[in-house]
Amino acid sequence: MELKRIRILPDDVVSQIAAGEVVERPASVIKELVENALDAGATDISIEVEGAGKRLIAVADNGQGIAPDELELAITRHATSKLSSAQDLFSIHTLGFRGEALASMASVSRLTITSRRPEELTGAYVRVEGGQVREIERYGGPAGTEVRVEDLFYNVPARLKFLKKDTTERQQMIALVTRYAMAYPETRFKLIMEGTRALQTSGRGDRREVLAQLYGVDVAKQMLEVQLVDGERRVQGFISPVALTRSNRKEITLFVNGRWVQDAALVTAVLRAYHTLIMVGRYPLVVLFVDLPPQEVDVNVHPAKAEVRFRDPDQVFSMVQRAVKRALLAYSPVPQVTRSFWPASSAYQGWSEPAWEMPGETRQEELAPEDGFDGDAVDIEGGDVPEGEVSATAQPGLDGASPLLRLVGQVGAAYLVAEGPDGLYLIDQHAAHERVLFERLMRQRDSGVPSQQLLHAETVQLTPHQSALLESQLNLLGKLGFQIEAFGPNTYLVRAVPAILADRDPAAAVRAVVEDFEEDETPLQGELEARIAARVCKRSAVKAGQILSTAEQQNLLRELEQCQSPRTCPHGRPTMIHLSVDLLERQFGRRGSR
Amino acid sequence: MKASVSQQSLAHGLSMVSRAVSPRSTLPVLANVLIATDEGRLRLSATNLELGISCWIPAQIEEEGAITVPARTFSDYVNTLSGERVQLTANMQTQSLNVRSAASTSDIKGIDANEYPPMPAPDLANGVTFKAGELKEMIQQVAFAASTDEARPVLQGVMVSLRDGELTLAATDGFRISVRRAPLAASLAKPLEMIVPARALTELARIAADPEAEIRLHIPSGRGQAIFRLKDAELVTQLIEGNFPDYRAIIPRALKTHTILTTAALLAACKQAEIIAREGNNVIRVDVRGRGQEPGVVEISAQSEETGNSEVQLDANIDGPDLTIAFNVRYLREVLDVIKTPSVALETIAHNAPAVVRPVGDENFVHVIMPMHLG
Ligand SMILES: Nc1ncnc2c1ncn2[C@@H]1O[C@H](COP(=O)(O)OP(=O)(O)OP(=O)(O)O)[C@@H](O)[C@H]1O
Ligand SMILES: [Mg+2]
Repeated sequence: MELKRIRILPDDVVSQIAAGEVVERPASVIKELVENALDAGATDISIEVEGAGKRLIAVADNGQGIAPDELELAITRHATSKLSSAQDLFSIHTLGFRGEALASMASVSRLTITSRRPEELTGAYVRVEGGQVREIERYGGPAGTEVRVEDLFYNVPARLKFLKKDTTERQQMIALVTRYAMAYPETRFKLIMEGTRALQTSGRGDRREVLAQLYGVDVAKQMLEVQLVDGERRVQGFISPVALTRSNRKEITLFVNGRWVQDAALVTAVLRAYHTLIMVGRYPLVVLFVDLPPQEVDVNVHPAKAEVRFRDPDQVFSMVQRAVKRALLAYSPVPQVTRSFWPASSAYQGWSEPAWEMPGETRQEELAPEDGFDGDAVDIEGGDVPEGEVSATAQPGLDGASPLLRLVGQVGAAYLVAEGPDGLYLIDQHAAHERVLFERLMRQRDSGVPSQQLLHAETVQLTPHQSALLESQLNLLGKLGFQIEAFGPNTYLVRAVPAILADRDPAAAVRAVVEDFEEDETPLQGELEARIAARVCKRSAVKAGQILSTAEQQNLLRELEQCQSPRTCPHGRPTMIHLSVDLLERQFGRRGSR
Repeated sequence: MKASVSQQSLAHGLSMVSRAVSPRSTLPVLANVLIATDEGRLRLSATNLELGISCWIPAQIEEEGAITVPARTFSDYVNTLSGERVQLTANMQTQSLNVRSAASTSDIKGIDANEYPPMPAPDLANGVTFKAGELKEMIQQVAFAASTDEARPVLQGVMVSLRDGELTLAATDGFRISVRRAPLAASLAKPLEMIVPARALTELARIAADPEAEIRLHIPSGRGQAIFRLKDAELVTQLIEGNFPDYRAIIPRALKTHTILTTAALLAACKQAEIIAREGNNVIRVDVRGRGQEPGVVEISAQSEETGNSEVQLDANIDGPDLTIAFNVRYLREVLDVIKTPSVALETIAHNAPAVVRPVGDENFVHVIMPMHLG
């Protein structure tokens, strides 16, 4: 890291910097201090919080430190080492640039900075109170910087009043540190909250590890990886499969060039990618890191640096949407069988344009034009199909309804073969039936799910822990058609089950649902309901290996066509695979080579 | 082995035993059918270790012996033969079976008969005899109510009990129960209870073609098996271990509303309703409305978001308070399908209590269905 001295910014630069409140709450103190540590090239950052951040916030790093003679400058308003001319404002490579953070904190707290540059033997220590320097001393401790912010807002009681409940403030701080830890997986983060460790990361560069700390191992395992590189522009991160949703958009986290930002447009881009794959009113869990050349992002728009402006917002929008959609498609909607499905043959190379178009075949330009999605995500194998090739295999209605299907037959007692307007479809009978049952159950749950009573109540024996979980969800289970009563300690009587579960073992069904509760004990209510429903449907759907009569096969196709999201099962796996007419024609050498 | 048989009886025999073949077994020999000479006849056997079926067909035997050949290949081939007689010759060296008929000949590769699991030989002196036609009807009235859920093996079975001079068959899937009784010709020394896989009984009913014939049941001691012997066929099945629910306690007594309907009319109404209801969990509503002196009315209605709705009104003889109750129409239709009397009684207590369906004038059959609860 190249060393730059801290200098006071010239007035013309200061006047161009977005002014306003820098430090609003404890979490914003942590954000500024962590950003400073990252700017200083730290690979190890530990954070300590006491009294919900009102007593103490201390951030220690192993970065490049501050020279003793610059300490006073560091806490001076508009003094920064990161910017020198107004021109630099248009190409910012660091998280800080205004020289304002430490000064603002110093004016509303008792602040001490202890710092030593690694290459020097001694460093210094400065203590500031309400903006006044009280003490400066030489210091010879470990290299790096520790900033302690004590008694935040002690001199501005009005601000204290605006703080939320302690637990809320703490949650915000943990959420913030976790997100930065994920954005910077190469840096070790440690957060001690009120004396107990709230977070620790290894710094080994594994984002999924941090993801697991954020959402728990099970959720982290399910999250799909996003990876889209387009020259210098990159979208990376994780998104939830369609079956994993929340009732609000709070779990959509966006980083742009290493900073956590709020951006309504990009959130919309993400949601568009999920459009119709998840239910209205449900939101995915998303953590995305967008990296762009610095000149393309204006970070100087918000006093807390929480927003950015893009030079080409449309481009970023469509790139994010494409990245998310591609990841989703790779795991869920109708996967296309690409050329690489068959052994590559040189004779097939270079057929970029179809010789003619089939009636009903939709070309790329007509595909979902509202969202600018350009269809190349259809190639689930990625990479090896040349650009332009894909348009010919892209299928219509990617995120819309199912195509109208004509049954051809059943293969392997597991799949249905059907013909659509644009080729051949292979349908997984189990996944398809799960989808049909799931949508039916979710539709019925408001009017009341019909439930089938048992001749003879079944007893289910649970562990004390499981009983507590079951007990807390009896209402919800009732809504979905289960009738369960307590019957002695940790013992329950199952009196009725959702009608679609008739034919199955009721006690086993209840046990399976309870096991689901155990896996994730704190899902949001709406999600839990969908999860139980999905579980119920999984149990009652036809299995692979079950031979279906022609009438049953036809019925299944018809019901699937009527589904809102016919292309995925409630667990997010595809229900159908598509082989386009075009693909078939090429494979048979009927097209393009004459 | 060298034998000559009629093409017709061979094809028939193969179709009879092939239901016990398990094509996907890890034991390849189980995909085969055993062909063996047996006291002047040819025995064909197949087993999946849970269910075994044998049948004997008349044959001219030139040389004793046995071999197994793939059931599917062999029976498909035999079905295409046009000759009246089929000549079967096993080559022990190559373990293959030469099949010759009219101008056709083929050699089908097989597996050594010694690898075939041995079939138990029943002790025919020791057993109970039933009339085929009656047992078949009992099975048809009961077996459908068994569960198909592999997770609950006991409910996949039919409780067969022989006691107090009576044979009783009972099956339940937890939502309905079917119980059928018949007097026993001869009383048993000691009562007998066993759970027989419903599937085995259904196969037994299928192979018992002649209603006047006799079926002899034998339970070899200590093997957990039951053997049903017909004139030219035999079925061996594993019994299911476990506790069968106490069906006597489940059958309700204090019934409040007695409704008598025409079986055929109710069945037709259920079939109609099922077409509408099958997309919506099969729910139908049954409204029972007595009207004093006039004949009462039963309205069967179905409604589904996807399909639409339907109603049928049926005249009925009603005794007791009015009631609306919901059922899985499949359960109702399936029991009506096996009720032979012209009138059927639907006996109810409340919308959330078990309902009884029984043939009017036949005390030996009773069926109980749990109602559904609509949200
Ligand atoms: N942890 C640290 N390690 C090394 N230098 C630091 C550290 N924290 C602050 N500094 C120095 O102090 C200066 C002032 O920090 P401050 O956070 O107030 O402003 P900034 O980071 O430059 O801009 P901004 O107000 O946007 O954060 C920085 O420019 C940097 O040179
Ligand atoms: Mg800073």
